[in-house]
Amino acid sequence: MEGAISPLHLSKGYDLRLSGKPLPELEDLPPPRHVAAVAGRLRFVKPRLAVNFGDRVQVGSLLFSDKNRPEVQFRSPGGGVVSAVNAGPRRRLLEVVIALDAAEGHEEFPRITDDDLESIGRERLIELVIGGGLWPLIRELPFRDTARPETRPSAVFVPLDNLDPFHPLPRVYLEGHERLLSFGMRVLERLAGKPPVVTVCREHAEGLGKQTGWNIRELTGHYPAHDPGVLLYRTKTAADQNHAWFIEGQDLLMVAELLKSGRFPTDRIVTLGGPAALQARHYRTRLGAPLSALAHGRRAAGEVRLAAGGVLTGSPAPMESYLSLLEKALVLLPEGNVSGGFLAWTLPGARSPSYSRAFLSSFRRAREFPWDCNRHGGRRACIQCNFCTQVCPVDILPQLTYKAILAGEVEESLAHGLLDCVECGLCSLICPSKIELLQTLREARERFHAEMS
Amino acid sequence: MNPVKRLFDSQRHRFSKGGRFEAFYVLFENLESVFFAPATVTSAGPHVRDNLDVKRFMFLVIVALLPHYAFGMFNVGYQSHLASGLPLDFWPMIGVGLQAVVPMVVVTYAVGYFWEALFATVRKHEISEGLFVTCALFPLTLPPTQPLWQVALGISFGVVIGKEIFGGTGRNFLNPALTGRAFLYFAYPAQTSGDAVWTLLASGRTAPVDAFTGATPLAIARATESGSIVQAWADAGYGLTQLFFGLYPDAIGASCTVLCIVGALFLITVGVADFRIICGDLLGFLATAALLNWLASPVGSPYLGLNPFYHLLVGGAAFGIAYMTTDPVSAPAMAGARWVYGFMIGMLTVLIRVFNPAFPEGIGIVILFMNCFAPLLDEIQLRARLRKRIPNVR
Repeated sequence: MEGAISPLHLSKGYDLRLSGKPLPELEDLPPPRHVAAVAGRLRFVKPRLAVNFGDRVQVGSLLFSDKNRPEVQFRSPGGGVVSAVNAGPRRRLLEVVIALDAAEGHEEFPRITDDDLESIGRERLIELVIGGGLWPLIRELPFRDTARPETRPSAVFVPLDNLDPFHPLPRVYLEGHERLLSFGMRVLERLAGKPPVVTVCREHAEGLGKQTGWNIRELTGHYPAHDPGVLLYRTKTAADQNHAWFIEGQDLLMVAELLKSGRFPTDRIVTLGGPAALQARHYRTRLGAPLSALAHGRRAAGEVRLAAGGVLTGSPAPMESYLSLLEKALVLLPEGNVSGGFLAWTLPGARSPSYSRAFLSSFRRAREFPWDCNRHGGRRACIQCNFCTQVCPVDILPQLTYKAILAGEVEESLAHGLLDCVECGLCSLICPSKIELLQTLREARERFHAEMS
Repeated sequence: MNPVKRLFDSQRHRFSKGGRFEAFYVLFENLESVFFAPATVTSAGPHVRDNLDVKRFMFLVIVALLPHYAFGMFNVGYQSHLASGLPLDFWPMIGVGLQAVVPMVVVTYAVGYFWEALFATVRKHEISEGLFVTCALFPLTLPPTQPLWQVALGISFGVVIGKEIFGGTGRNFLNPALTGRAFLYFAYPAQTSGDAVWTLLASGRTAPVDAFTGATPLAIARATESGSIVQAWADAGYGLTQLFFGLYPDAIGASCTVLCIVGALFLITVGVADFRIICGDLLGFLATAALLNWLASPVGSPYLGLNPFYHLLVGGAAFGIAYMTTDPVSAPAMAGARWVYGFMIGMLTVLIRVFNPAFPEGIGIVILFMNCFAPLLDEIQLRARLRKRIPNVR
């Protein structure tokens, strides 16, 4: 199969051309004094605490798990004392903070060698990944929640990169770990019962793919060409293929390391970038490191928003928060909470980035733009400009789906392809009426998910 | 600090909660947002948002319409001087045009804004900029002799019945400007049809000079019983140049085909107008007129034999195609439906022009008619499209 498939091109979608791109250089951050397991930004998880304030924990000790799904476990990224259990409104668990010991203890998990992999059963392998606390890294389409171990997916994808600005480059985090990833791939094949499809965007493919046994699918085009949901939508031929698994490249490395070393992996390579970031580059730090360890002293003056997990799909996070299990990017954006210039909307707008062609900026192809968090306009009713339809990577008609949802037509919204939605956020991004399309679609998907489970 | 900003900041307390004009906070906020974009930041979904908003979107349409106002003022004055036998000096003609057009625009905006502001205040929503496009389009479709009270009544009907009762811009299914125009056409035919209404006469005159026909090209086309319509137009002084540049008695500013082409190209370039609707319109016009040409020789009617391209040069065809059919709210949403919508508009307009003795021009009514069918066209294409999707329901 290798090399036999031509790159899949996504002509829809859109690239932000955001300024502040991280350099490919990797810098080691000094070890933090605290790390945390974040629950507040996890979706589809109802956390049940397994530790109390003041408890001693080791690297890999269970901190909390999902009330409804015991296999969804979250284990400690550090060894020391539980120094805080932070809760938000309605006592929802936000994070469990660990003050690190100088010499951290490790929970020991069973080790697997290359040879073991030939003989070990699927059930046992699932047990090991769940027991090691890394099962939540394997996620399931269409909802992108944690994979259900009792099911067999129709396909399994390993996206190596993420075009949501700015995520770690595969050649940075993979350097020297290619064999580990090959091991992870074999594990994944046993878990899923299917050979994994590795996806990488052509601009990041350089130097990759020389490893034997990787079934690489090259992708080209705009954001979100990298997304496994987009790939699945564009390659599926029947309804029974909707149920697929995926795990990001760096996450698969963690699973492989857990099984090989028998210890819970704690390293993470993350990017710091964005218009308000100084020293934008890749950093090696701990899983669950404080955001301040990354952003402190590296953010521009003025009010700055921390977008954990990317500009388009990430969540806002306070400086006091920590990197969650799935987040590999921290983007610093100017908050933009100032009113615009006098009659600014009448200007040609050479510096006003836009998907449309309504500003001069649209005709300047090579430029990068310092996007900020201003909404850039008032909320209006939909004017059927159709931009959301033109941009949607999975051919949903977002404005009609949105209207169907608001009208309570669940069946119709599903027929529109609500579950194909990859939650890329482009519809909300480009809407001139500033309608929260993503939020509406996402909430509808969550309601449907709650009904299903 | 900007003096306008200072003014807003100094008056804010009067409109805020507990202030004297608390009820009018929506208006205050709206007026402020015209001058300074609000400082609102994103709270959900993607952190960043596009710079394009509805204000900019609608503003671009108004930019495209401004040359029509310049042309309209000139043409109103030019036709008036021709009809009154006055010398054709540029500035006096512009003066006549200004006198006729400015009061209509002022009345349209004042009355239109009043209704929008009333609904916005009562319903506590922001004023949508769609209103300003409606108010810019409306006077351009009227004859220069329209009494101002009728202008006020027309825009009231257009804004309230065409739009507000359905929930305002974005929720209307009819083009509000055309709704108002159609209301005037049916309610006050004496002031909106015939040959006399299209030309403003100099004060003191009751009839135009003998050499001036005053008939619109469409009226001439309808009246031509035999021979060639193009010849009849030439006899009335409407050569190809006059037709192309719109230098004949007609609605203010709607007759200039060349400006409509420029405006349409501009709106397509900036992404406000959909080329599918415009191309559909053109196809509909040309295909239907060509079909009638084919029928013309056995029947022998000159209107059937009119060259299809002339249909696009006369009357409100070009203006309607460029600015009315491309209104995204009242048009269908789906791409294929937009082609059909455009084609049907072109076809029906030609058929009404040629076969219906009651309407010299049909495009306004036809667009409103097709507005009503837009949801149906959408539904047909939507069903076909959804059938093709691989279901993702568990």
